[in-house]
Amino acid sequence: MNISFFGMFRLRTKPASRNRMLRRSFLWGSGSLAAALSLSPGLAIGGPVAEIAMAGRPDGSKVWFDPYGVLIAPGQTVRWTNHDKANSHTATAYAPENDDHPRRIPEGAKPFNSDYLLPGESFEVTLEIPGVYDYFCIPHEMSGMVGRIIVAKPGETDFKDYPRGDLDDMVINGFPSIADILARGSVQVKE
Amino acid sequence: MTRFFATIAALSVAVAMPALAQADAGAVAKAPPPAPYQQVSKLVKLPDFLPGIGELFVDPATLPAGPFLAYDHDGKLVSTIYMIPIKDMNADKKFDNLLQPGGDVDHVDIYFNAGHPGVEEPHEHIVLWHVPVADEASVEK
Repeated sequence: MNISFFGMFRLRTKPASRNRMLRRSFLWGSGSLAAALSLSPGLAIGGPVAEIAMAGRPDGSKVWFDPYGVLIAPGQTVRWTNHDKANSHTATAYAPENDDHPRRIPEGAKPFNSDYLLPGESFEVTLEIPGVYDYFCIPHEMSGMVGRIIVAKPGETDFKDYPRGDLDDMVINGFPSIADILARGSVQVKE
Repeated sequence: MTRFFATIAALSVAVAMPALAQADAGAVAKAPPPAPYQQVSKLVKLPDFLPGIGELFVDPATLPAGPFLAYDHDGKLVSTIYMIPIKDMNADKKFDNLLQPGGDVDHVDIYFNAGHPGVEEPHEHIVLWHVPVADEASVEK
Protein backbone atom coordinates (compact mmCIF):
# COMPACT_ATOMS: atom_id res chain seq x y z
CA MET A 1 0.00 0.00 0.00
CA ASN A 2 1.32 3.37 -0.87
CA ILE A 3 0.02 6.41 0.94
CA SER A 4 0.97 9.63 -0.72
CA PHE A 5 0.66 13.00 0.91
CA PHE A 6 0.96 15.65 -1.76
CA GLY A 7 3.70 13.88 -3.57
CA MET A 8 6.32 14.49 -0.92
CA PHE A 9 4.84 12.84 2.12
CA ARG A 10 5.10 9.18 1.31
CA LEU A 11 4.50 6.33 3.63
CA ARG A 12 4.97 2.96 2.08
CA THR A 13 3.71 -0.08 3.80
CA LYS A 14 3.87 -3.61 2.54
CA PRO A 15 1.41 -6.42 3.00
CA ALA A 16 2.47 -8.70 5.80
CA SER A 17 2.41 -11.67 3.45
CA ARG A 18 5.28 -10.24 1.45
CA ASN A 19 7.64 -10.63 4.37
CA ARG A 20 6.16 -13.67 5.98
CA MET A 21 8.92 -15.91 4.72
CA LEU A 22 11.53 -13.52 5.93
CA ARG A 23 10.69 -13.19 9.59
CA ARG A 24 12.19 -16.39 10.80
CA SER A 25 14.25 -17.39 13.73
CA PHE A 26 17.68 -18.85 13.33
CA LEU A 27 18.01 -22.48 14.30
CA TRP A 28 20.88 -23.15 16.62
CA GLY A 29 23.01 -26.10 15.70
CA SER A 30 22.13 -26.11 12.04
CA GLY A 31 24.58 -27.06 9.36
CA SER A 32 24.46 -23.50 8.15
CA LEU A 33 25.73 -22.23 11.46
CA ALA A 34 28.61 -24.63 11.38
CA ALA A 35 29.39 -23.46 7.90
CA ALA A 36 29.24 -19.84 8.97
CA LEU A 37 31.67 -20.30 11.78
CA SER A 38 34.17 -22.01 9.54
CA LEU A 39 33.71 -19.73 6.58
CA SER A 40 36.77 -18.27 4.98
CA PRO A 41 38.44 -15.98 4.30
CA GLY A 42 37.10 -13.06 6.30
CA LEU A 43 33.98 -13.94 8.19
CA ALA A 44 33.78 -11.44 10.99
CA ILE A 45 30.23 -11.96 12.15
CA GLY A 46 30.89 -14.50 14.84
CA GLY A 47 27.41 -15.16 16.21
CA PRO A 48 24.57 -17.04 14.64
CA VAL A 49 22.79 -13.77 13.92
CA ALA A 50 24.58 -10.99 12.07
CA GLU A 51 23.59 -7.74 13.76
CA ILE A 52 23.32 -4.54 11.76
CA ALA A 53 22.53 -1.26 13.47
CA MET A 54 20.53 1.50 11.85
CA ALA A 55 22.32 4.56 13.11
CA GLY A 56 22.37 8.30 12.74
CA ARG A 57 23.68 11.51 14.15
CA PRO A 58 21.38 13.10 16.74
CA ASP A 59 20.51 15.95 14.38
CA GLY A 60 19.73 13.61 11.49
CA SER A 61 22.43 15.06 9.29
CA LYS A 62 23.94 11.64 8.58
CA VAL A 63 22.50 8.14 8.68
CA TRP A 64 24.01 4.73 7.99
CA PHE A 65 23.95 0.98 8.45
CA ASP A 66 26.61 -0.30 10.79
CA PRO A 67 28.21 -2.44 9.53
CA TYR A 68 27.19 -1.65 5.98
CA GLY A 69 29.05 -4.61 4.54
CA VAL A 70 28.58 -8.10 5.97
CA LEU A 71 29.72 -11.59 5.02
CA ILE A 72 27.53 -14.49 6.16
CA ALA A 73 26.97 -18.14 5.39
CA PRO A 74 23.91 -19.60 3.64
CA GLY A 75 21.11 -20.01 6.16
CA GLN A 76 22.44 -17.36 8.50
CA THR A 77 20.11 -14.71 9.82
CA VAL A 78 20.65 -10.97 9.60
CA ARG A 79 18.97 -8.71 12.12
CA TRP A 80 18.61 -4.97 11.68
CA THR A 81 17.80 -2.87 14.73
CA ASN A 82 17.00 0.82 14.71
CA HIS A 83 19.33 2.51 17.21
CA ASP A 84 18.58 5.97 15.86
CA LYS A 85 16.38 7.66 18.47
CA ALA A 86 15.21 10.41 16.17
CA ASN A 87 14.36 8.60 12.96
CA SER A 88 12.70 5.64 11.31
CA HIS A 89 14.54 3.34 8.95
CA THR A 90 13.95 0.39 6.67
CA ALA A 91 16.05 -2.47 5.36
CA THR A 92 14.74 -2.94 1.85
CA ALA A 93 16.23 -5.19 -0.81
CA TYR A 94 16.94 -3.77 -4.23
CA ALA A 95 14.27 -5.45 -6.33
CA PRO A 96 11.42 -4.41 -8.62
CA GLU A 97 8.96 -5.59 -5.98
CA ASN A 98 10.20 -2.79 -3.75
CA ASP A 99 8.98 0.38 -5.45
CA ASP A 100 10.40 -0.57 -8.85
CA HIS A 101 14.02 -0.57 -7.79
CA PRO A 102 16.55 -2.49 -9.88
CA ARG A 103 17.19 -6.06 -8.83
CA ARG A 104 20.43 -6.43 -6.90
CA ILE A 105 19.88 -9.72 -5.15
CA PRO A 106 20.74 -13.20 -6.40
CA GLU A 107 18.53 -15.03 -8.82
CA GLY A 108 15.90 -16.96 -6.93
CA ALA A 109 16.25 -14.93 -3.76
CA LYS A 110 13.12 -13.37 -2.30
CA PRO A 111 13.15 -9.60 -1.86
CA PHE A 112 12.84 -8.42 1.72
CA ASN A 113 11.44 -5.22 3.13
CA SER A 114 11.30 -4.44 6.82
CA ASP A 115 8.88 -1.53 6.43
CA TYR A 116 9.55 1.39 8.75
CA LEU A 117 11.21 0.50 12.03
CA LEU A 118 10.80 2.88 14.95
CA PRO A 119 13.67 3.28 17.43
CA GLY A 120 14.26 -0.02 19.20
CA GLU A 121 12.43 -2.14 16.65
CA SER A 122 14.12 -4.98 14.75
CA PHE A 123 13.69 -6.99 11.60
CA GLU A 124 15.22 -10.32 10.69
CA VAL A 125 15.74 -12.15 7.45
CA THR A 126 17.41 -15.50 6.82
CA LEU A 127 19.33 -15.64 3.56
CA GLU A 128 19.76 -19.02 1.96
CA ILE A 129 20.95 -18.36 -1.58
CA PRO A 130 24.62 -17.42 -2.05
CA GLY A 131 25.33 -14.14 -3.74
CA VAL A 132 25.40 -10.39 -3.29
CA TYR A 133 22.40 -8.72 -1.64
CA ASP A 134 22.21 -4.93 -1.92
CA TYR A 135 19.64 -3.09 0.14
CA PHE A 136 18.68 0.43 1.12
CA CYS A 137 16.71 2.50 3.60
CA ILE A 138 13.58 3.91 1.95
CA PRO A 139 13.67 7.43 3.40
CA HIS A 140 17.45 7.67 3.18
CA GLU A 141 18.42 6.08 -0.09
CA MET A 142 19.13 9.48 -1.59
CA SER A 143 21.42 10.19 1.33
CA GLY A 144 23.41 7.07 0.59
CA MET A 145 22.09 4.84 3.37
CA VAL A 146 22.67 1.52 1.63
CA GLY A 147 24.25 -1.76 2.57
CA ARG A 148 25.54 -4.99 1.11
CA ILE A 149 25.44 -8.56 2.34
CA ILE A 150 27.40 -11.37 0.76
CA VAL A 151 26.17 -14.87 1.38
CA ALA A 152 29.03 -17.25 0.68
CA LYS A 153 29.62 -20.95 1.04
CA PRO A 154 32.89 -21.93 2.69
CA GLY A 155 35.74 -20.89 0.43
CA GLU A 156 33.46 -19.25 -2.11
CA THR A 157 34.92 -15.97 -3.33
CA ASP A 158 33.89 -15.64 -6.97
CA PHE A 159 31.28 -12.91 -6.73
CA LYS A 160 30.66 -10.29 -9.37
CA ASP A 161 29.42 -6.79 -8.73
CA TYR A 162 26.23 -5.56 -10.39
CA PRO A 163 26.69 -3.43 -13.50
CA ARG A 164 26.73 0.29 -12.83
CA GLY A 165 24.11 2.51 -14.35
CA ASP A 166 21.01 1.19 -12.67
CA LEU A 167 21.33 3.57 -9.72
CA ASP A 168 22.65 7.06 -9.14
CA ASP A 169 26.41 7.11 -8.76
CA MET A 170 25.96 8.61 -5.32
CA VAL A 171 24.02 5.51 -4.25
CA ILE A 172 26.35 3.02 -5.94
CA ASN A 173 29.37 4.64 -4.36
CA GLY A 174 27.80 3.95 -1.00
CA PHE A 175 28.24 0.19 -1.29
CA PRO A 176 31.36 -1.40 0.15
CA SER A 177 33.34 -3.37 -2.38
CA ILE A 178 32.93 -7.12 -2.62
CA ALA A 179 36.66 -7.49 -2.06
CA ASP A 180 36.52 -5.53 1.19
CA ILE A 181 33.64 -7.58 2.52
CA LEU A 182 35.32 -10.87 1.64
CA ALA A 183 38.59 -9.74 3.17
CA ARG A 184 37.23 -8.20 6.35
CA GLY A 185 33.93 -9.97 6.90
CA SER A 186 32.40 -6.81 8.27
CA VAL A 187 32.82 -3.29 6.88
CA GLN A 188 31.88 -0.38 9.07
CA VAL A 189 31.23 3.30 8.47
CA LYS A 190 33.93 5.65 9.68
CA GLU A 191 31.91 8.07 11.78
CA MET B 1 27.00 28.73 -2.58
CA THR B 2 23.71 28.22 -4.37
CA ARG B 3 22.47 26.22 -1.43
CA PHE B 4 23.62 28.95 0.92
CA PHE B 5 21.80 31.73 -0.86
CA ALA B 6 18.69 29.61 -1.32
CA THR B 7 18.71 28.89 2.39
CA ILE B 8 19.08 32.55 3.24
CA ALA B 9 16.29 33.39 0.82
CA ALA B 10 14.01 30.86 2.42
CA LEU B 11 14.93 32.13 5.85
CA SER B 12 14.26 35.71 4.83
CA VAL B 13 10.80 34.75 3.72
CA ALA B 14 10.25 32.85 6.91
CA VAL B 15 11.18 35.64 9.28
CA ALA B 16 9.56 38.47 7.33
CA MET B 17 6.08 37.22 8.03
CA PRO B 18 2.86 39.11 7.58
CA ALA B 19 1.19 40.46 10.68
CA LEU B 20 -1.74 38.15 10.11
CA ALA B 21 0.39 35.10 10.80
CA GLN B 22 1.80 36.62 13.96
CA ALA B 23 -1.72 37.01 15.32
CA ASP B 24 -2.01 33.20 15.49
CA ALA B 25 0.75 32.83 18.07
CA GLY B 26 -1.65 32.36 20.97
CA ALA B 27 -3.57 29.67 19.17
CA VAL B 28 -0.55 27.47 18.67
CA ALA B 29 1.31 28.22 21.89
CA LYS B 30 0.28 24.94 23.47
CA ALA B 31 0.02 21.47 21.98
CA PRO B 32 -1.96 20.32 20.21
CA PRO B 33 -2.36 23.19 17.77
CA PRO B 34 -5.80 23.53 16.15
CA ALA B 35 -6.75 22.03 12.78
CA PRO B 36 -5.53 21.83 10.12
CA TYR B 37 -2.37 20.94 12.07
CA GLN B 38 -1.89 17.22 12.61
CA GLN B 39 0.63 15.28 14.64
CA VAL B 40 3.39 14.16 12.31
CA SER B 41 3.77 10.79 14.04
CA LYS B 42 0.14 10.09 13.17
CA LEU B 43 0.78 10.82 9.50
CA VAL B 44 3.97 8.82 9.08
CA LYS B 45 5.87 6.30 11.15
CA LEU B 46 8.08 8.45 13.33
CA PRO B 47 8.46 8.62 17.11
CA ASP B 48 5.96 10.93 18.84
CA PHE B 49 8.83 12.88 20.34
CA LEU B 50 11.98 13.50 18.34
CA PRO B 51 15.08 14.18 20.46
CA GLY B 52 16.46 17.58 19.56
CA ILE B 53 13.21 18.68 17.95
CA GLY B 54 10.22 17.78 20.10
CA GLU B 55 6.68 16.75 19.27
CA LEU B 56 5.93 17.82 15.71
CA PHE B 57 2.71 19.03 14.11
CA VAL B 58 2.11 20.15 10.54
CA ASP B 59 -0.66 21.13 8.19
CA PRO B 60 -0.26 18.45 5.46
CA ALA B 61 -1.28 21.00 2.83
CA THR B 62 1.94 22.91 3.48
CA LEU B 63 4.30 20.00 2.86
CA PRO B 64 7.17 19.64 2.41
CA ALA B 65 8.18 23.11 3.62
CA GLY B 66 5.86 23.42 6.57
CA PRO B 67 5.78 25.20 8.97
CA PHE B 68 6.22 22.34 11.39
CA LEU B 69 5.42 23.29 14.97
CA ALA B 70 7.59 21.67 17.66
CA TYR B 71 6.55 21.32 21.30
CA ASP B 72 8.42 20.28 24.43
CA HIS B 73 7.34 17.62 26.92
CA ASP B 74 5.06 20.15 28.64
CA GLY B 75 3.29 21.01 25.41
CA LYS B 76 4.96 24.40 25.04
CA LEU B 77 5.79 25.61 21.56
CA VAL B 78 9.57 25.82 21.27
CA SER B 79 10.23 26.18 17.56
CA THR B 80 8.82 26.52 14.09
CA ILE B 81 10.64 24.49 11.47
CA TYR B 82 10.74 24.67 7.68
CA MET B 83 12.05 21.69 5.74
CA ILE B 84 13.39 22.65 2.34
CA PRO B 85 14.53 19.86 -0.03
CA ILE B 86 18.03 20.44 -1.33
CA LYS B 87 16.85 19.79 -4.88
CA ASP B 88 14.42 22.68 -4.54
CA MET B 89 17.15 25.14 -3.69
CA ASN B 90 17.70 26.37 -7.19
CA ALA B 91 16.88 29.23 -9.53
CA ASP B 92 13.55 27.77 -10.60
CA LYS B 93 12.02 27.16 -7.20
CA LYS B 94 11.01 29.45 -4.39
CA PHE B 95 8.92 29.30 -1.27
CA ASP B 96 6.81 32.40 -0.83
CA ASN B 97 4.77 33.56 2.14
CA LEU B 98 5.42 30.64 4.42
CA LEU B 99 3.35 31.04 7.56
CA GLN B 100 5.06 31.72 10.86
CA PRO B 101 2.32 31.37 13.46
CA GLY B 102 4.63 30.86 16.44
CA GLY B 103 5.24 34.46 17.44
CA ASP B 104 8.54 35.98 18.53
CA VAL B 105 11.72 34.35 17.32
CA ASP B 106 14.71 34.27 19.67
CA HIS B 107 17.27 32.78 17.32
CA VAL B 108 17.58 30.58 14.24
CA ASP B 109 19.34 27.31 13.44
CA ILE B 110 19.89 25.95 9.95
CA TYR B 111 21.22 22.47 9.41
CA PHE B 112 21.25 19.59 6.96
CA ASN B 113 18.99 16.59 7.43
CA ALA B 114 19.46 13.34 5.53
CA GLY B 115 15.73 12.71 5.38
CA HIS B 116 13.01 10.95 7.32
CA PRO B 117 9.54 9.57 6.67
CA GLY B 118 7.54 12.48 5.34
CA VAL B 119 10.44 14.28 3.69
CA GLU B 120 12.31 11.35 2.21
CA GLU B 121 15.18 13.21 0.66
CA PRO B 122 18.06 15.37 1.83
CA HIS B 123 16.82 18.74 3.01
CA GLU B 124 17.60 21.67 5.24
CA HIS B 125 15.94 22.29 8.57
CA ILE B 126 15.41 26.00 9.15
CA VAL B 127 14.51 26.27 12.81
CA LEU B 128 13.02 29.44 14.29
CA TRP B 129 13.42 29.03 18.02
CA HIS B 130 10.81 30.72 20.18
CA VAL B 131 12.82 30.05 23.34
CA PRO B 132 16.34 31.07 24.41
CA VAL B 133 19.27 28.83 23.52
CA ALA B 134 19.43 27.49 27.07
CA ASP B 135 15.85 26.26 26.81
CA GLU B 136 16.57 24.09 23.79
CA ALA B 137 17.44 21.51 26.44
CA SER B 138 13.71 21.02 26.99
CA VAL B 139 13.55 18.99 23.76
CA GLU B 140 17.01 17.47 23.90
CA LYS B 141 15.75 14.06 25.07
